Amino acid sequence: MEEYSGLKKSRLGRSALYVLAVLVLIIMVYPFFYTMMSAFKTPEEFVSKAQYALPDGLYLGNIRYVLLESNIPRYFLNSLTVMVCVLVPVLLFGSMAAFAICKLQFKGQKLMLSYFLMGLMIPLQVCLIPLYLTFGKLHLTDSLVGVILPQIAFDFPFTIYLFANFFKFLPDEVLESAVLDGCSPFRVYAVIVTPMAKNIFLTLATMDGIFCWNEFVFAYTFTSSKKLQTVTLGLRDFVGMYGATDWGRTFTTIFLTILPTFILYFFLGKYMLAGMTDGAVKG
Amino acid sequence: MKLGKHQWQTVLLFTCPALLIYTLIVFVPIIWSSVYSIFDWNGIGSMKFVGFTNYLKLFTRDREFLPAFRHTIIYTAAQIALQVFVGLALAFLLSSLPKLRTFFQTMYYVPVVISSVALCQIFEKLMSLQPLGLFNSILGKINPAWYDIKWLTDVRLCLGSAAFVEGYKYMGMYMVIFYAALLGVPDELVEAAKIDGASSWDIAIHVKIPYIRNVIVANCVLVLNGSLRAYDIPYLLTNNGPGNSAQLLAPYMYKQAFSSMKYGYGSAVAVMIVIISLVFATVFRRIFERED
Repeated sequence: MEEYSGLKKSRLGRSALYVLAVLVLIIMVYPFFYTMMSAFKTPEEFVSKAQYALPDGLYLGNIRYVLLESNIPRYFLNSLTVMVCVLVPVLLFGSMAAFAICKLQFKGQKLMLSYFLMGLMIPLQVCLIPLYLTFGKLHLTDSLVGVILPQIAFDFPFTIYLFANFFKFLPDEVLESAVLDGCSPFRVYAVIVTPMAKNIFLTLATMDGIFCWNEFVFAYTFTSSKKLQTVTLGLRDFVGMYGATDWGRTFTTIFLTILPTFILYFFLGKYMLAGMTDGAVKG
Repeated sequence: MKLGKHQWQTVLLFTCPALLIYTLIVFVPIIWSSVYSIFDWNGIGSMKFVGFTNYLKLFTRDREFLPAFRHTIIYTAAQIALQVFVGLALAFLLSSLPKLRTFFQTMYYVPVVISSVALCQIFEKLMSLQPLGLFNSILGKINPAWYDIKWLTDVRLCLGSAAFVEGYKYMGMYMVIFYAALLGVPDELVEAAKIDGASSWDIAIHVKIPYIRNVIVANCVLVLNGSLRAYDIPYLLTNNGPGNSAQLLAPYMYKQAFSSMKYGYGSAVAVMIVIISLVFATVFRRIFERED
C-alpha cells in the first residue's frame, strides 16, 4: 500500500514537472511565435482583435511589401557579406593559432594562450573610441571593413579557446609520425588536423555566425550610410520609421531577420550547445 | 610536435595573422584609451593634457556618472539573480525530467540566438500601451488599473524592464552550462545520499550544488563581466529611460564620446568600466572561489 502511494506521488510529481517545463517553454518561445503570427495579420486585425488572437488567414501583404519595396533584402546581402568575411578569417587564423599553441613546441605557448584569453575579460567599449578615430584616419568608417575587422579580432579569444580545448586532446603520436614521414607542419594542419576537427569547426561556425548576424555595436558605430547597413541596423531603422504605426510590417521585418538564425539554430544547434558546454565545463 | 631549425618561422606563420589582428584591434586601443583619458580632446583640435582631472570630475562634478554606476550595479545584481539562479533552477528542472530533455533544452535556448535588436523590438511591442500590447491587455483583465503600466517610460520601471529582457535573453545560456555540470555529478554521491534517506531537495542543496560550486562561481564572474558592460539591450529598449533613469555606464560612455564628442572624457568612462569589471571579478573570486 505504501509503495503504491509512493508510486502515485512520484507520478503526480512527474506530471507536475512536465507542467512546469511546458510553462517555461511557453514563456521562452511564445514571443517568437507571437512575432511570427503577427506577420500574417492585416492592419485591421491589430486594431479590432486581441493581441493574442490568431490571424484570420495568411495575409501576405506585409511580406510582399518588405521583400519587394523595402531595403530589407539589401540589408540581408550586407549581413551575409559581413558574415562570410568574418567567419573565414576567424576560423582559419583562429584554428591555425590554436594548433600552434597546442601542438607546436615553442617557448611562450602558455603565455600566448593567456594573451588571447585576456580578450574575454575586455569590454569592447574600451576599444571603440580609439578604433573610431583610427578608422576615421584610414577612411574605414562608413565601410564594411570597419564592421568586419573588429568582429574578427573580438571573436579570436573565444574561438581560439574552444579550438585549443579540442586540439590539446589530439594524439601527438599521429602528428609526430606524419612529421617523420616528411610532412611539413602546415600539411599536418591542413591534411590531418582539419578533417579530425570537423565538428569543432561546425560548432564555431554556428556560434560565430550567429554572433555576427546579431552584431549591433560595431555596425552602429562604424557605418552611417543606409546602403551599408546590416540587418540589425536596418531593422532598427525600419521600426523607427514604421514601428508606431504599422505593426504588421514591423513584425514581418522582425520575423524575416530572425528567420535565418532560427534555421541555422535548428539544423546546427546541437553543435552550438555542445560548444557552450565544452567551453564552460571542461575549461 | 617537435620542430626543426625553422622553428620560429613555422610558429610565426601559424600565429601571426591572429596575433597581429588581435593586438592591433584589441590591445593597442586599450593603451590609446588610457592615454586619451588624461587629455581633454574633441577629436579635431589639439589635445590638452589634464592629468587625472577627467577621473576626478567623474566622481565630483558629474551628475550622470554616479547614477549610471548605481544603475549598473542594480542591473548586474538582477542579472546574477536571473541568469545564474533562474538558469540553475531551469537546469535542475531539465535534469529531473525523465524524457524529452534535449527538446526542452533546445527550446529554452532559443532567446539566446535572437539578436538584441529583434528581441527589444518584440518586447517593445509586448509592453506597448498604444495600441495595447500583450502584457497589459492580459494584466488589465486581472486588474483594470494595470491596463496602463508604463513598462518602458515609467522612471521606476524602465531599468527593471531592461534587466528583465537581458536576463530573459541569456538565462538559457547559463542553464545549458549548469545542466552539463549537473550531469557530471557522480552517481555514487547521489545514490549514497539516497540510501541515507535524503530527499531530492536535500540532494540538490547538499550534494549537487556544492559539487558544481566552481561552475556557479565561474558563471557568476561571466555574468558580472557581461552585465557591467551591458550596452545594447538597455539602450535599445529604453533609450536610457526618461531623465536617464535607466542609463548604464556603457551607454553613458557612448553618449559622451560619440554624441558630445568628448573623446577624452568618454575614454575616462571606458577605462572606469574596465577597472570596475576587473575589481568586481577579482573580489568576487577571492570571496567565493575555493581551491580544490
